[in-house]
Amino acid sequence: MNEQALSLKDLVKDFDGKRAVDNISFTVRKGEILGLLGPNGAGKTTTIRMVMNIIAPDAGHIEILGKSFSEKVKDHIGYLPEERGLYRKLKVMDTLLFLGELKGMKPAAVKQRGRQLLKQFQLDGYEEKKVEELSKGMAQKLQFIATILHNPELLILDEPFSGLDPLNIELIKDIILTSKREGKTIIYSTHLMEYAEKTVDSLVMIDKGRKVLDGTLAEVKAEYGQKFVKIQYEGDARFVAGLPYVKSWRDSGREMEVELEDLAKREQLLRDLLEKVTVNGFQLSEPSLQNIFIRKVQEGEGA
Amino acid sequence: MKKILAVIKKEYKAIVKKKSFIIMTILTPVLMGGMMFVPVLLMKVGRTEKKIAVADFAGGYYQALTAKPATRQEPGKPAFDLEDSMRKPRASEVAGLITFRQVLLNGREAAAVVREYEQKVLKKEIDGLLLIPADVKSSRQVSYYATSISDFATNSFIASTLRTVISQQLLLEKQIDPAVVREATRDVLVDTFKVKKEGTTKSSSGMDYIMSLFMMVILFGVLIGYGQMIMRGVLEEKNSRISEILISSAKSTQLFYGKVLGIGLAGLTQVALWILLSWILVSRFSGTVDASILTFLTPEIGLYFVIFFILGFFIYAIPYAIVGAAVNTDQEAQQFSTAIVWMMLIPYFIGFSATQNPNTTLALVASLIPIFSPILMFMRITASMPPLWQIAASIALCLLTIWGLAWLGAKIFRVGMLMYGKKPTLGEILRWIRYK
Repeated sequence: MNEQALSLKDLVKDFDGKRAVDNISFTVRKGEILGLLGPNGAGKTTTIRMVMNIIAPDAGHIEILGKSFSEKVKDHIGYLPEERGLYRKLKVMDTLLFLGELKGMKPAAVKQRGRQLLKQFQLDGYEEKKVEELSKGMAQKLQFIATILHNPELLILDEPFSGLDPLNIELIKDIILTSKREGKTIIYSTHLMEYAEKTVDSLVMIDKGRKVLDGTLAEVKAEYGQKFVKIQYEGDARFVAGLPYVKSWRDSGREMEVELEDLAKREQLLRDLLEKVTVNGFQLSEPSLQNIFIRKVQEGEGA
Repeated sequence: MKKILAVIKKEYKAIVKKKSFIIMTILTPVLMGGMMFVPVLLMKVGRTEKKIAVADFAGGYYQALTAKPATRQEPGKPAFDLEDSMRKPRASEVAGLITFRQVLLNGREAAAVVREYEQKVLKKEIDGLLLIPADVKSSRQVSYYATSISDFATNSFIASTLRTVISQQLLLEKQIDPAVVREATRDVLVDTFKVKKEGTTKSSSGMDYIMSLFMMVILFGVLIGYGQMIMRGVLEEKNSRISEILISSAKSTQLFYGKVLGIGLAGLTQVALWILLSWILVSRFSGTVDASILTFLTPEIGLYFVIFFILGFFIYAIPYAIVGAAVNTDQEAQQFSTAIVWMMLIPYFIGFSATQNPNTTLALVASLIPIFSPILMFMRITASMPPLWQIAASIALCLLTIWGLAWLGAKIFRVGMLMYGKKPTLGEILRWIRYK
């Protein structure tokens, strides 16, 4: 068995002379959740559309479930596009029947699994309702059901949380985690990094079409996370900026965030602080993905 | 293959389950039948019995009016005849509905009689007064007083009866036997026989013409209706953004052909039901309906109707589907579909002359041009069977065109379905065709 669910190599896409995706490469291991992170317009959707063979890359190579994209592979992928839409006049169960059969399912299997999923998403009893009679949130849930209906090995979700209320966000997160436990691979894109932080195993950050960072969440946090200390204090702490083991210093008056050259120096810092100011709190901090992203983009622009 | 079936099933069910489909399927044959029978029925129901008083100053004319009119007997003629019903009512029908009553003159002046009977007309004691002056033979003028004077059938019955009486009197005066004159001036009737390979049948030319046009109108209407349905369907998929899910689930050709075939099958179902329902209607009322409808609607014509419906469907449906995929809004789609309708109107108008002269060079050439032939070749077949090679050639050309259109359509469909927002230029569409 190939260990890679997806591999992208030197993907390039131009739109009207503007480079939307610029030499992006990354791999997704089987059984993991990968977050494709980046602000709006970074090239996430374009990348996903190329993976789904909806648009052709100008250069580069994609391997999906160990092979190049083929008609057969479509049945093993569940794809939730960024722009949602269903047939307004079609009934809920008929919608699932059609989309399920398009994925090669038998009608009886669609009905059985469809009912089960509708129940899980609290849509049971709506089987014979037309899609246009559903609320927006319900239609979103139905679309998500259609995405996972055929029990795909690989889930590709483009902004799965957008437009959902907190309750439904939790529901989708649960489904993602359950799928992972079942051995499925999940790739999702989002610009909301705080959601990603709680679920992803690996992440790829892109900005302006370029990959700025990738790795497992643990690696990324280890690289950036362990050298920060957050201190609540009273007094004049400007001297901290001049300390030799301090790499960077951000002061907000009563709280500061200090980046150390080496995490081992944290006790030295505490001793130096206690001599001059009153320390109310002192803790190692993990920077959020948001902070890492901002730093990474700033580094890239500085270089 | 399974996926294309899923698309066909979904498209077919979506149309067939619609209320409008069921209503149109039942209503169309009923309406069409109604358009033929209702005016006739209304004429019969609407013509009530009339009481007309006759003031016969000339003498002898009252007796002539009340005498049983001699009509040409046509044995084997059914009680109701479609073609005949569109002509003016027969004299015998009118006569049966009018009761004449003689006015006793008692030496009164015409003016006095008119005054008295004006009151009776107003009180509805009688429907009208016919005043025949003494000099009617030379003046050829009578007067009719009534509240309603628009009943042409009554007027012409009176006029023709009086004319016959007067001419008979004149002939008798000149000692010529009226029977000789009647024989000399009798109408010549043209009985039309349609010569076909299977045998010659008696059928009326008017009937053929009407049925030809009638089937052309149905073909035309159905092709436009279903073409626009496809166009709207594609546009809906595009606008609801479901196209991305579809393309990521199945091949674009499966989606495209599945859609066209599914909607086509729905159309075929409707046409088949129409034929079935009409057949039931016709056979149910066959006693009252001219048998020439049955001689016109042969299985052969039915088969050609189905063949040319299918060919026409693909020739017009695919351009409609392409328009749906290429444009973004209903307004844009409407502009393009108007162009397609105009294209279809050309064979429609050529068709009017082709039914009467089905073998002119214009009709022949036009009926071989694929975008015209579904309508025109069918028209020619109904009017007079063209040589088999011409039918075969038009079918072959149509199939070739459909093959080309299908190839082109699938390409444009693939790209167009995923292009949102921007109105494509012609150059872009050409690029789409080259896009792999």
